[in-house]
Amino acid sequence: MRTYALRRLLAAGVVLFLVSILVFSMMRMLPGDALVTKLGETGRISPDRMEQLRDEIGLNDPLPVQYVKWIGDLFSGTMGDSLIYEGRTVRERIVNSLPVTVELGILGMLSALAIGIPLGTISAVSQDSLLDYFIRSVSLLGLSIPQFWLGLIVIIYGTLYLGYKPPREFISLTKDPIGNIGMMWIPSLILGFGLSASIMRMTRSTVLEAMHEDYARTARAKGLTEHVVVIRHVVRNALIPVITLVGNQAAFVFSGALILEILFGLPGMGRLTLEAITQRDYTQVQGCAIVAAAVVIGTNLLVDLSYGWIDPRVRYS
Amino acid sequence: MAVVSEESAIILPPGARTPRPLRIIWSFTRRKPVAAASALILLIISLMVLFAPVIAPHEPNRPSLGDRLAKPSSDHLLGGDELGRDVFTRLLYGGRISLGAGLGATALGVGLGVLFGLVSGYAGGWVDMTLQRIMDAIMALPPLIFLMVISTQLSPSFRNVVIAISIFVTPGAARVVRGAVLSIKEMPYVEAARSLGASPPRIVFRHIMPNTFAPVIILASITVGSVIIIEAALGFLGLSVRLPQATWGTMLNSGAQQYMEQAPWMAVAPGVAILITVFSINLFGDGLRDVLDPRLRGKGK
Repeated sequence: MRTYALRRLLAAGVVLFLVSILVFSMMRMLPGDALVTKLGETGRISPDRMEQLRDEIGLNDPLPVQYVKWIGDLFSGTMGDSLIYEGRTVRERIVNSLPVTVELGILGMLSALAIGIPLGTISAVSQDSLLDYFIRSVSLLGLSIPQFWLGLIVIIYGTLYLGYKPPREFISLTKDPIGNIGMMWIPSLILGFGLSASIMRMTRSTVLEAMHEDYARTARAKGLTEHVVVIRHVVRNALIPVITLVGNQAAFVFSGALILEILFGLPGMGRLTLEAITQRDYTQVQGCAIVAAAVVIGTNLLVDLSYGWIDPRVRYS
Repeated sequence: MAVVSEESAIILPPGARTPRPLRIIWSFTRRKPVAAASALILLIISLMVLFAPVIAPHEPNRPSLGDRLAKPSSDHLLGGDELGRDVFTRLLYGGRISLGAGLGATALGVGLGVLFGLVSGYAGGWVDMTLQRIMDAIMALPPLIFLMVISTQLSPSFRNVVIAISIFVTPGAARVVRGAVLSIKEMPYVEAARSLGASPPRIVFRHIMPNTFAPVIILASITVGSVIIIEAALGFLGLSVRLPQATWGTMLNSGAQQYMEQAPWMAVAPGVAILITVFSINLFGDGLRDVLDPRLRGKGK
């Protein structure tokens, strides 16, 4: 177990390192001077400051030097300085935004599980019935609706007919948990609906498989009702691949959360990244990307490591 | 999003006789009527989009202030937008970009993925290791962040949007193909080809690649749908093809949100277009998977 965990940790480190190279080179596809020109175009920066910036950012340094400097900034924890907001570090703004996105992502995943697992189980138990077809169609619909559009429609018709008002000011979870959930539940459900589709499909197929296993037959032979067999014996075993799926969806959950939080005016990573992009705050964009990747890699790692705990049969080799 | 298991390798019997296209379509329709119907809907949508200049009642990009936020009527089937442009017309023209990006990015991304997957699966060793870690790295970046970052560096043209999205499609395809190759390369006929002295490229492209097509086709059919949604998300954020060119995503971007109370059709129309298209693609893809994946055959009977 320990060597397995160490190996996974190492592999995650390697991937994160590659992501850093990927992000860095993506941000350097244009030559450095064009980068500064773009900064000038925004009109926020005087020529003097620009010249100063050129030195500060080290654009005249060779690329490997720039990269090593960035990695140094990452390890020192500041993640570099914002190009737009003088005296503010990249980290400062991420620290404020990341919890919002992570909270939305977790709530979205939880609602996806709450929707997907029961529906998938019902669908499997009543295989090929009208109910099964209905549930499967709804889940396919969930795969086909752009989440941001669903959010937009909810906002439009919510305001028109239900007196819903998109919140103007963000309420943080630590200050006012109830107010915070009040803002979060609608985007979480929308995110969850989109994600529940694949969870439902996976649950359906694994439950179908597990229902024909020997232990299910044994449980039935003991005289347990079908209800108890499914809930106590089948679903528990069928959920392992579903957990894996949830872990693998982390990147998509993050993406979904980004766009929904922009739509619902929540000050998370999506808004921060989009703002940084329109302001051409390259160090900020770079920082946001690497943090997003770290969250995804971390989630996948946690899921991998939790296998043994979820399913004691798993042997790490 | 599309989830395809790595092991969904399907091996068609080598040398299977290819029946005539019409017969394939007929037997598919009989076995999967819903999937066939969605294929028909897709065909109709594609034709409408393709013949947009013929069908469209108005100019897509010319503002006409008299029709500003016009309600849906016989003149403006789906109403007018904030500049008085006809929403139906823009929907048709926008579909060209959205569907084009969907197909283009899928073709490019899956093509690259097949290539990487073949190399990775057949070569094994450190080549496999390196390629896989690179794919992992691309996959670790949330697609939207990845595309946002790329968009800062590429000008917002159709070509660049397609290239950007295709990069995010590649790893999924590479994994599926790699998984298939790993099992196919142990097959007796591959061994036979090797013992006859066939060169590695010949083995890979002649004997292995054709047998990975089934999972690739399934993956591609589902990917088109998610690419259309991703492109729409980019457009919605104002990061897709340059305005005033319409795409289904950019149509949701500015006016649709600003005037959502006076003119809800501006937001409803493009979304419904995306929904119908992607829903049909997914239904079709599901049917295709049932037919092509022998492991699922006979299940549920």
